[in-house]
Amino acid sequence: MSMNAENSNAEIKYSACTQHEAALEDHLQGALHGPEAAMLAEHLRSCAGCRAALADATASARLLAVAEPAPDPGAGFSRIVMAHIRQELRTGEGKSIWRPIVSVAWRVAASAAFALVLLVSFDLGRHSQFVSDQSMMADNRVPEIAPDQPSLPANRDDVILMMADTSHGKQ
Amino acid sequence: MPNVPKGMAATASALSLPVSRREKGEEERQLVRLAQSGEEAAFEELIRRHQQRVFGLVSGILRRREDVEDVVQQVFLKVFVSLKRFDQRAAFSTWLYKISVNECWDYLRKKKVRPLVYEADLSEEQVSRLDGVVSADQPPSSSSDRAEARDLLEHMMEKLPEQDRELLVLKEVEGFSVQELAEILDLNVNTVKVRLFRARARLMDVYRRRLHSKPAGAAGSAEGKEG
Repeated sequence: MSMNAENSNAEIKYSACTQHEAALEDHLQGALHGPEAAMLAEHLRSCAGCRAALADATASARLLAVAEPAPDPGAGFSRIVMAHIRQELRTGEGKSIWRPIVSVAWRVAASAAFALVLLVSFDLGRHSQFVSDQSMMADNRVPEIAPDQPSLPANRDDVILMMADTSHGKQ
Repeated sequence: MPNVPKGMAATASALSLPVSRREKGEEERQLVRLAQSGEEAAFEELIRRHQQRVFGLVSGILRRREDVEDVVQQVFLKVFVSLKRFDQRAAFSTWLYKISVNECWDYLRKKKVRPLVYEADLSEEQVSRLDGVVSADQPPSSSSDRAEARDLLEHMMEKLPEQDRELLVLKEVEGFSVQELAEILDLNVNTVKVRLFRARARLMDVYRRRLHSKPAGAAGSAEGKEG
């Protein structure tokens, strides 16, 4: 199998056959065994591109071996993290994601309550005004509208006067 | 192992490994259950068990050491808050590492961190030292040589695409397996292998370009190596 016929890794100056890349990585890790290893060995004998790519990968592993892993954060780190979590949870109660929504809801509720109080007081004001108007009107008009209370004649003169009054205008 | 046939010893070790792993897994599941029920000591134990690898994972992605501790603390806070929702269908470590990776990406997005760019190219002397590292079977012996080689490698890694750099660091430096990387990054195992292999090729490509772009006086020696 020639590399030129198989190689479709055009994006980089790269010579491995695409269908063998995973096996080459396994081979590099020492994780390729049995018939797959034999197949790759057979391919490597005839493919200069894959041989070169494998040599590159091996060199890259040597290069990467100089890098050091991240240092151990130390035995006290878990305690620091737990303290951080406790602190965050305490302050987090005050700054939960619902807080802005709750705050807006409270503002809307307060505005609504204020508007309701205004409406009720306005209504009460109007109502009391109406009642006072009514009572004033009632106070003013009663003497004009209400008929005289009939009173019983106390003596003879009153009887004559009543008779004269009821027969007034009949003649 | 005296008086034990070779094949049997291999079988015994093959059997004992999964059992101990299973026991370890069950112990961890128990710890998770305790932590889920509000046992803080159990959660602290989980942190102790995984802090080193989470540190490695986060520093492999972020590079800036000063940010790593903050992000790792944030990762464990998120894990603590959402632990009750974790149903243990996946391994706790896989779930934890996924949260770590997402936290790193969120952090990079929020901070709009740009990759470090090293404008200065390598000197002829540096190039020849690096060449020594690549061709030698053993890493440099003295600590100063190792430190310089690390610095040069860091320069080259910065030239790689973010994805390549992450994969190479997590696999080759922090020691994550291909299987773990596939789970953490939600990729097929074969895809991880192919990407890793290509990332190695790109690293060597950067290395060669460094050789070509070295100061004029060193051109002859580089061409000799290339040819």
